[in-house]
Amino acid sequence: MRIKVNGEDKEFSQEVNVSRVLTEQNVESPEMVAVQVNGAFVDKEQFEAHTLRDGDSVEFLYFMGGGA
Amino acid sequence: MSGFATRAVHGPLPGPAERWQHGDLRPPVHDTVAFEFATAEEIADAFAGRRPAHSYSRISNPTVAAFERRIQELAGGRGVVAQASGMAAIATTILALAGAGSNIVAGRSLFGNTVSLLARTLEPWGLETRFVEMKDQAAVAAAIDQNTRAIFLESITNPRLEVCDLPALAELGRGRGVPLLVDNTAPTFYLCRAGELGAAVEIISSTKYISGGGAAVGGLIIDHGSFDWQRSPRMGEFARRFGPFALLAALRRETARDLGACLAPHNAYLQTLGLETLALRVDRSCANALELARFLTTQPAVRKVNYPGLEDHPDHELARRQFNGRFGGILTCELADRQACFAMLDKLQLIRRATNINDNKTLAIHPASTIFAEFDAAEREAMGVSEGLLRISAGIEDLADLQDDLRQALAALTKEAKE
Repeated sequence: MRIKVNGEDKEFSQEVNVSRVLTEQNVESPEMVAVQVNGAFVDKEQFEAHTLRDGDSVEFLYFMGGGA
Repeated sequence: MSGFATRAVHGPLPGPAERWQHGDLRPPVHDTVAFEFATAEEIADAFAGRRPAHSYSRISNPTVAAFERRIQELAGGRGVVAQASGMAAIATTILALAGAGSNIVAGRSLFGNTVSLLARTLEPWGLETRFVEMKDQAAVAAAIDQNTRAIFLESITNPRLEVCDLPALAELGRGRGVPLLVDNTAPTFYLCRAGELGAAVEIISSTKYISGGGAAVGGLIIDHGSFDWQRSPRMGEFARRFGPFALLAALRRETARDLGACLAPHNAYLQTLGLETLALRVDRSCANALELARFLTTQPAVRKVNYPGLEDHPDHELARRQFNGRFGGILTCELADRQACFAMLDKLQLIRRATNINDNKTLAIHPASTIFAEFDAAEREAMGVSEGLLRISAGIEDLADLQDDLRQALAALTKEAKE
């Protein structure tokens, strides 16, 4: 199954949910990340329940950012 | 693991990858300003928000983040931003949501420095505050217009000790597209589930009950995730890019970052330590406050006692409903005049003359000559701060010792009056 993660194609051997994608992409501090699937925001509580389909596009953006 | 006290002590249990290097039961204090990166690309990714990384402690820091996670575990909500003080948390939230040409509808009875922030510091920048009686919902509704960016109130007002109907005011705001901001310092999320009662944003001075021992100044902004930030005009681009996380992103990537009132890592450490005993201390402080209020009603020199836990308090039933059967640790009483208050304060031997609240130590102060000294008599009267008003913040000492101290101080006052 092919899923686009932050613009890059990634292969997954089995069905995955948002949580799993975040884990596999080494996304730490999920409380500090905004996640969109196919352009729609997914709430943190839905990370487990939201199952992804072949061709889905997942974007995640941290809002901690940088400074100085 | 669901009990409040259990979660306060342990926080979210770390996964194996998150355990500290030596298996520390208490996370280390990351007392550093900056964090280094292996490559230039990594640091660019962190700035762009593509990589989770702390880069600079004004924006985020692992010790502060651990404290924020612990708070979120207890208070609920979509996210938490810790600040250098309660006032910094209020100012930063309001500046994120409102600007020149807009207005805030705020309670008439508020902490003196909050009134000063709204009426004096922010007003010259074109941000108007409309002070209304929060118990008069028609007045609140009438004050809201298309330029209103928030309703702001205290869950127990300081020092008038009024309690407002949070669900009703939240509903009123939601209907008009205006978020309810609740300063929940006095009861904290342990007693008052502000988010569940409808607050869009809960603000807390963590200097008080959360710090506990009065060891560190701090503040908290908790986004409860119930408000659609698309309806808040200042959120604009943040709402488009971050959707439900708009306010948190606006704080992290703009307002809190730019104002720079960040919580120091060491203070986050001290407050995490304080947080672990929050339930124990609040229970004890509230029990002491109730008994002291009852005791003071029996004292001849005391003209009136104000405490939501007393059955004759006008908001007693509402407070019981909203604060989990407890009524907070602050009470006020009326003596004859300023002179009587000063004389009584000077006689105290155990209770400390100090301006903090919700400390482990019982503290007393004369608000009219201190926190509200910058306001004139008419303004103080409107805020419920009379010349004879004394504020007592009940600590966690043995009740009998506190009663003895109050008894001797008041007895000396009565004796002097007779002479």
